[in-house]
Amino acid sequence: MNEINLPVAQETLSEMLSRMVPAGADDADLYLEQSTSESLALEEGRVKHVSASTHQGIGARVIKGEVSGHAYTDRLENPALMECARAARAIAESGSQAQPVLIHSTHPRHQLYQPTNPALATSMPERKTLLEKLDALARSLDPRVKQVFANVSSSFSTVHLVRIDGSLLSDARPLVRLNISVVVEQNGKRETGSAGGGGRFDLTRLLQGNEAERLTREAVRLALLNLDAIAAPAGPMPVVLGPGWPGVLLHEAIGHGLEGDFNRKGSSAFSGRIGERIAAPGVTVVDDGSIHERRGSLNMDDEGTPTRCTTLIEDGILTGYMQDRQNARLMGVEPTGNGRRESYAHPVLPRMTNTFMLAGNDDPKEILSTLKHGLYAVNFGGGQVDITSGKFVFTTSEAYLVENGEIQAPVKGATLIGNGPDVLTHVSMIGNDLELDPGVGTCGKDGQSVPVGVGQPTLRVDEMVVGGTDS
Amino acid sequence: MNSALNSNMSESAAKLVEMAKRAGAVDADALAVNDIGENVCIRNQNIETVEREDSQGIGLRAFVETDEGLAFASASSSDLSETGISALVNQVLTMAKISAADPDAMPPSGANHPPHEELLAWANRDQTEHVWSIEAAKLAALKCEAAALDYSDRIENSEGAEAGFGNTHVAYACADGFAGEYSKSSLGLSLSVIAGSGDAMQRDYAYSRARELAKLKAPELIGKEAAERAVQRMGATSIGTRQTTVIFEPRIATSILGHLTGAVNGRAVLQNRSFLAECNGQIILPEFFQLTDDPDHPDGLGNRLFDGEGTRCSKHTIIDRGRLTGFLTDRYAAARLKSEPTGHARRGLTGDTSIGTSNLILNPGRLDIETLLKEIGNGVLVSEVMGMGVNGVTGDYSRGASGFLVQNGEITQPVNEITIAGNLKEMFANISHLGSDLTWFGSMAVPTIAISGMTVAGQEN
Repeated sequence: MNEINLPVAQETLSEMLSRMVPAGADDADLYLEQSTSESLALEEGRVKHVSASTHQGIGARVIKGEVSGHAYTDRLENPALMECARAARAIAESGSQAQPVLIHSTHPRHQLYQPTNPALATSMPERKTLLEKLDALARSLDPRVKQVFANVSSSFSTVHLVRIDGSLLSDARPLVRLNISVVVEQNGKRETGSAGGGGRFDLTRLLQGNEAERLTREAVRLALLNLDAIAAPAGPMPVVLGPGWPGVLLHEAIGHGLEGDFNRKGSSAFSGRIGERIAAPGVTVVDDGSIHERRGSLNMDDEGTPTRCTTLIEDGILTGYMQDRQNARLMGVEPTGNGRRESYAHPVLPRMTNTFMLAGNDDPKEILSTLKHGLYAVNFGGGQVDITSGKFVFTTSEAYLVENGEIQAPVKGATLIGNGPDVLTHVSMIGNDLELDPGVGTCGKDGQSVPVGVGQPTLRVDEMVVGGTDS
Repeated sequence: MNSALNSNMSESAAKLVEMAKRAGAVDADALAVNDIGENVCIRNQNIETVEREDSQGIGLRAFVETDEGLAFASASSSDLSETGISALVNQVLTMAKISAADPDAMPPSGANHPPHEELLAWANRDQTEHVWSIEAAKLAALKCEAAALDYSDRIENSEGAEAGFGNTHVAYACADGFAGEYSKSSLGLSLSVIAGSGDAMQRDYAYSRARELAKLKAPELIGKEAAERAVQRMGATSIGTRQTTVIFEPRIATSILGHLTGAVNGRAVLQNRSFLAECNGQIILPEFFQLTDDPDHPDGLGNRLFDGEGTRCSKHTIIDRGRLTGFLTDRYAAARLKSEPTGHARRGLTGDTSIGTSNLILNPGRLDIETLLKEIGNGVLVSEVMGMGVNGVTGDYSRGASGFLVQNGEITQPVNEITIAGNLKEMFANISHLGSDLTWFGSMAVPTIAISGMTVAGQEN
């Protein structure tokens, strides 16, 4: 692939790798990254925050058994590069001979998104004009709208990975996002609502058509709804979760607990439970990093493994974990394309991509009608999990109190808490309305953030603890 | 620290400002940062990872004149070469001309800068990147984990001990001629271990961070604390829903201070995004609540001579005997709120200034934890919170929690799978006790905080 324009000469990369790899190493790689990002933000009716960044660097890694050495630098010149190679090798005993490595290009299997900068086709003044239009729209929708915050951001990251055998794989990754949030005020009471969307596609897609306008209307609707919200109930009760973003339930309740590192180390509540029932019959959950243009998708993971669809739970039975190369090797299984890193300056960890539950057969309206006294939660903020005890939380941003199948009133944001290993055994109805989220998810682990996706159909969970104030 | 590198950093910052002015900026400031760090992770008494980081970055903020006032833009880069710097200048100037003017824009020139002799004195602090060595860090991590594994045979697994150290060098330059730089060294040791096995596993952690080795908690003490905490959590269950007092351990009480400083942030107030926006000068906390921001404390990791726009920092009382003295400001927020800048501008390589504290110190109370629990009688002592169920606009608060049930002044059982909820404005007013156990966590020193009248939700087994 002669068209690849590397920021470091191939001979230099070859020399680094030769110096890095000690005898008996299981794995080693160089991760060379160049990324640019742009952001325009509107506040008080003005696009007064315009910013950009350009960063490049290299991460060197050597792995032997359970041990790994990592070094990062953004000085792409000697002697910093050779010092980087030396530091990565620090885990190995000195003295073993350098192995010459010949670098050769190969192609990733997928082409899930356009390998071009997603901001190129939309000028900054065009983006500015759009944000101003959204501000005007939000204010025109309701006089109670007092503040509008709108942000459009894009990034383009080119990754060149050189593996231990000298194979060179490249992936150019676009990512865009639009976010709107508003503050509304009525009789001295303030509330807020927000909406966003994005993915691995060109900005024009997000900014032309109705999507930006739809997100703005959604943010205003949520904020106004919250003005009338009553205190959320406190205590255990049945919960119906809406489709799409509420799939953050799966991400927290089971997703993290099924990452390979925790299971190899035996620190997850799901360790050693392959083949066991951990969810009700009918529950099938997958992690799929190979969906066209999704926020959590990648042509290859950050170790060069092609992404794929991995079944985590099949008809309620735990069938697999998400793996990077090191943990897969140590557990004697195949890597699943889940080895990810935030940037060249972070180590690889097994991470989720797009995690969702497949559709069932129930009519969503019928599911809601079965709720005698409970919570109907349609939208969520973030969540968190303790993978060892299995306890997880996620917080509603749009939820309603339901009596006898009828929506009574919106309730204030409340945290829902449950136990990951058994929450899915309480799923009693699965909707036929699978949706993926709008492309806004970011997952944090060990201080690293990566873009992810979630999804699910409407679900009834027979019991969860709702953390409101109304006891 | 390599001195050639230092001068390279401040030269890069000054050169950026100079080039921005030549390219048509009416005002500008720039930052150059170099981070060097090493860390080692031990798990089950073997090395698991060794890491080394060396990163650099420059950031420029430039203002241009427009018909409607000043407009600005900012950008950052890791490329410090001539071409990298000039590309950055062109990019920022182009973007500033696209950006909308702000009639209240606050150009960086003219801040109340610290005097030269103070700059010199601070420049000589924390000069070394060798606060620790990787070998010594490895030994400390080994000792720390061994102390935990030896603590009890109920400690069945380890998530690893991590020891690391590093140095950050920051250079700032402004178009009014001010240039300052400083180094910050820090080191840290942390451990997470697991008690029990199967579906009865409980994990807990302990850590210490400091500016110098002498101030780091002993590895054995960190190991013992993590193990003791994990063992104490064994057998935790949920409890029934109730209204009660929630007692936040110091390490969790830090989050309560975070919500408070977030709400007295002048920018959040300007944006109508704070539930304390109308509370300037009011009593919002009990009289015994005294909160100070101290930018020069021997135990603090948040020390700074000047803030993100070159304003000299000084000790600042945020809450004086329960009264909010004013909002925290940078120069922009101060001008719009018609108050004095408090020296709280925070600055990253990219973006506008934001607002942040240096070292937050909450004056402790008089009661040790045992006496405090006796006075309170019944409640829940929280040692961990989960999730982000905090609404900064309304103050509504709802988070997952785990900790211990307190009955008649005694800890009677570990609890988990509960939520704690309330409204922060009421929670602040309902703080009933502060412990005497003031503890440092990096750039915050906090004692135990007890808050009455919160809703605990859970399910009695």
